[in-house]
Amino acid sequence: MGMSRGDRLFSFFNHLVMIILAIAMIYPFWYLIMASLSDPKLTALGGLYLWPRGFSWDAYITVLRDQSFWSGFRVSILVTIAGTAIGTFLTATTAYAISKRRLQGRMVVSFYILFTMLFSGGLVPSYLLIKELGMLNTLWALIIPGTLSAFNIFVMRSFFVGLPEEVEEAAKIDGANDLMVFFRVVLPLSKAVLATIGLFMAVMYWNDFFSTILYINDKDKWQLQAVLRNLIDQAVQSSGAGPNGDQIHVSAFTVRAASILLATLPILLVYPFLQKHFVKGAMIGSIKG
Amino acid sequence: MLSETAIRKSRWKHMKRDKYLYLLLLPGVLLIFLFKYVPMYGIVIAFKDYNILLGVLESPWVGLKQFERLFRTPDFATIFANTFIISFYKLIFGFPAPIILALLLNELKNGLFKRFTQSVLYLPHFLSWVIFTGIIVAFLNPVDGMVNYILSTLGMRPINFMIIPDYFRTLLVSTHIYKEMGWGTIIYLAAMSGVNPDLYEAARVDGANRLKQMWHVTLPSIRSVILILMILDLGNILDAGFMQVFLLYNPLVYEVADIIDTYVYRVGIQSANYSLATAAGVFKSVIALVLIYSANKIVQKSGNNGLW
Repeated sequence: MGMSRGDRLFSFFNHLVMIILAIAMIYPFWYLIMASLSDPKLTALGGLYLWPRGFSWDAYITVLRDQSFWSGFRVSILVTIAGTAIGTFLTATTAYAISKRRLQGRMVVSFYILFTMLFSGGLVPSYLLIKELGMLNTLWALIIPGTLSAFNIFVMRSFFVGLPEEVEEAAKIDGANDLMVFFRVVLPLSKAVLATIGLFMAVMYWNDFFSTILYINDKDKWQLQAVLRNLIDQAVQSSGAGPNGDQIHVSAFTVRAASILLATLPILLVYPFLQKHFVKGAMIGSIKG
Repeated sequence: MLSETAIRKSRWKHMKRDKYLYLLLLPGVLLIFLFKYVPMYGIVIAFKDYNILLGVLESPWVGLKQFERLFRTPDFATIFANTFIISFYKLIFGFPAPIILALLLNELKNGLFKRFTQSVLYLPHFLSWVIFTGIIVAFLNPVDGMVNYILSTLGMRPINFMIIPDYFRTLLVSTHIYKEMGWGTIIYLAAMSGVNPDLYEAARVDGANRLKQMWHVTLPSIRSVILILMILDLGNILDAGFMQVFLLYNPLVYEVADIIDTYVYRVGIQSANYSLATAAGVFKSVIALVLIYSANKIVQKSGNNGLW
């Protein structure tokens, strides 16, 4: 098609590089899936896995029987749902108010929000605040501090600015006040941006591990990521020290692979939806932020 | 005089008219005050001798004593250097990676193949560092990790990468690039999609091949985006990647891996040395602010649009 020889060569190598990169991104998952389905007795030496060695569901059965895994799963589900719901709602209310040009003090409030992106109190003052609020060792400490981010507010604001005025004006002429307009007109029109911000927040909450480390003592309030971390840590230590029998360590490896996969599953399930929305979200945010 | 009161009156009228908008704004403003601005005020404990019984307000002022203590800490120079070196490597190797990748992705003309590749490349960004660390450990484990299996089939001895200082920074930088390179292309690809196709046509007429078009048409079109992201990265140069280091490091590699943020966590949260840790945090924030300001100035002086 009019391509020179050099261009065809370039195109060939470009595709080759992309295929290699794609394999590099996918293989770790493949490796974990195959390892987790392998017979624990046959994984002792490690190595390349293209297919499972032997076959066994034992690793999954072990994980699904583990109380701490389920407890972490429950906490993470609860924190993710509560945090995402509260966060998305408050992001929307805040962003809607500052999207209105007629609002007195709009610029001051926008700067008030923007400034939190440039400067922060840091780890210790935030920790001391949670402590003095009496939120240590409660699920509130995992939910509330992360609900609002300047980035999300600005992404949503630029969406609201782009909504057509006429619809809102029409509702106003029919006697609706700002609250009714927001709940009955604006929110139903904003499903796309609510989904985008909601998904971003859900991923953030689901992946959060450090809040548990900072704020939680009781093991039954640990997020799944913290439970998982504990498991991985134990495996690393047992492999380094070596006094454990091979059998124990080897089964730990297949169990580790199975837990990593199960904890990643929710992300993989929402990933197609994420993909649909995130490019737009990241774009708006990068321009405004 | 009259007009001034009139303005005030109309402003009050406007605010009354918008009372429901203020109602919508209120919870957000209060939450941000509590969780962002109160901790900013909490920085004062860097200039105090924080006593848990007295609280932030009542603890005695000590001026710059905490900072003197910090700078006299024997490890502080190492920690500062580690932070800077790790960040610097991540910048040198990690910053061009998404640019190159975006240039290559942009040259893919097959829509389906391009979309598939992009989906796969973005995925690691959405995995938590805990999961990612789990994968790294599964690969590098000295007993049953895949990398060591390959080494042993090549007749080499297994290496415990996680505990050898010489390998540790390479491990940090390469896994960081692997995880974030794909996601980093999004902004560049969006900027590239805005390039006028006539420019490529003109370049082709002038006999430019694909590589030359990339160099002379695509790359210049994303220059302003590159500069903006460069400023932001320079502002973050003392963020060497807390989560990643925290999850991967261990006492055997502290000498090359301990960074300001991990130090703040250990000293501040684990040892409850609140004032000293906050001083380290403040030291970091101030340098970051100076850096981002200077980078912005340099970009503006060279005739480009900066961040503000």
